Amino acid sequence: MNVPVISDASRETTPAKSPIRRSPSAKRRTRLVAYAFIAPTFFFILAFSYYPAIRALVGAFTNWDGFNPPTWVGVANFIEAFHDPVFLASIGHVALWTAIGIPLSLIPPFFVAQLIFQLRSQRSQYVYRTLFIISMVLPAVVGILIWEYIYEPSGMLNALLKDVGLRFLQHAWLANPHLALWAVILMGFPWVAPFNLLIYYAGLQAIPTELLDAAAVDGATRWKRVFRVEVPLIMPQVKLLLVLAIVGVSQNLLTPLLMTGGGPGTSTTTPVFYMYDVAINFDQYGYGMAIAFMLFVVVMGLALLNMRYFQSEN
Amino acid sequence: MVARRRPAIVLHIILLLLAGVSLYPMIFMVVNAAKTGIETGASPFSFPIHPLWQNFLQAFQATGPAFWRSGVIVSVSVFGMLLFGMLASYAFAKLDFPERNVLFYVVFGLLLVPPFLTLIPLFLEIKDMGLLDSRWGLILPYIAGGQAFCIFILRTFIRSIPNDLFEAAKIDGATELTMFGRIVVPLSVPIIVTLALLNVVGLWSDYILPSLILSTNHETVAMAIANFQPPPLAPSINAFNLQLAAFTLASIPIAILFLFLMRYFVAGMTNGAIKM
Repeated sequence: MNVPVISDASRETTPAKSPIRRSPSAKRRTRLVAYAFIAPTFFFILAFSYYPAIRALVGAFTNWDGFNPPTWVGVANFIEAFHDPVFLASIGHVALWTAIGIPLSLIPPFFVAQLIFQLRSQRSQYVYRTLFIISMVLPAVVGILIWEYIYEPSGMLNALLKDVGLRFLQHAWLANPHLALWAVILMGFPWVAPFNLLIYYAGLQAIPTELLDAAAVDGATRWKRVFRVEVPLIMPQVKLLLVLAIVGVSQNLLTPLLMTGGGPGTSTTTPVFYMYDVAINFDQYGYGMAIAFMLFVVVMGLALLNMRYFQSEN
Repeated sequence: MVARRRPAIVLHIILLLLAGVSLYPMIFMVVNAAKTGIETGASPFSFPIHPLWQNFLQAFQATGPAFWRSGVIVSVSVFGMLLFGMLASYAFAKLDFPERNVLFYVVFGLLLVPPFLTLIPLFLEIKDMGLLDSRWGLILPYIAGGQAFCIFILRTFIRSIPNDLFEAAKIDGATELTMFGRIVVPLSVPIIVTLALLNVVGLWSDYILPSLILSTNHETVAMAIANFQPPPLAPSINAFNLQLAAFTLASIPIAILFLFLMRYFVAGMTNGAIKM
């Protein structure tokens, strides 16, 4: 009978924070150590993240060729952008890219994670997980350049169409201004992004099996279980992937840069590509930064919006 | 039982088909890398009867120095990124200091700053610093660019290490640095490996910043394979096959890393640390 009383008493005399941590000199020491530990990080992010970011935001209001000192022009760059047909067209391109690209980056990996998760044997789950991850070893540049070959007039897609007797469907996919943007957006079929797949899979694994069993006992069909139990429970993962997808789609610079150079004409020019192009190839740094500024505001707004939306839902 | 087994077969068929299509660009790359230009022209789908292994050798002749250069840049960057990221994450997760949350949000906020915003000013900054065409011109921004994501993930992970461990070590007289080296780092190995792999893959294939900062004389692997120039003596009809061979070579270092670290990687990705 006495034992629990004693342990209770000893717990009371030992506060959650140990006496060692409470002595003022030790506390000061911990502080100094902590600041020393975060110091390198702050040096790097201030010098190479915040400084260029602020320079970009300020530079948006200047006219700058990169050699002569920048001159303040107020919002002239922004006004110019809204009268610039290439910029306006690029907004349409990224809007389409977002509308198609985000579902493509979210749905197929979920579907595959779901299929893998439904397999009973741990071993097969492991094998499929591995199979879908293997493509991660391909550098992004390689993936894009292989797809460029797939779309070439004498490339793989047309060869495939010829072999299955659909010759009339052959196109110069990237050279046709009506098809190029679609070709670039739909690149990567069947769109099972390994990173997204693993994130979903982790989310599914974290769901307590009792919950799924309970739903099964209640007579929920498999897909009902998916949408009523699993999807709500993996919302944190969906939220993360959605934010990453928004940020990712908005900055799809590499694909147009390597595959199409923004063309034919300006048919695959995205705002980021246009920013790069005017700054790097035409030395209009101020104008480029103004485009980056606008894009940043939109992306940040969308990301915050969907964070808030999902938070209030939880 | 029968009704239950059938969906399993359907599952396998769907998964195998999807995996096959997902992997096909890679298979295509390796298979055609060992063919001649004439064979690829005849059919990109065929397998080589007599694989041309010297394609890989010729591709390596054209890109070899880039491999060494990229290897140095990527390993120094990822090491620095994780060392500084771990130290800061430990401080944010377990040490008490004024304005801890504000400072954390200063780091965290960078997750919302997309790289495109800083691309042009960063390029100009590196130019002003006289680091154009130097490997430090890439390493320094790479270390900075990795901090937010690493710290975001690592802080969550380190927070989940029981406080009792630290209390016990403190009673034994351990300093923060000892606890960092003896408790935090060893327990974080899976998540460190995961982050290292993600960043190695990302930096190894980064093209845009290197193409702005380095000249073609000092190109990285990503630049070398994108602007591939076959060696002068190679038959020009095989240029595309040699480029595919260079692609294959560029994927091999990542493949080797995955081969050895896959277990850690999957564990790190799927233990639930990466979420919001």
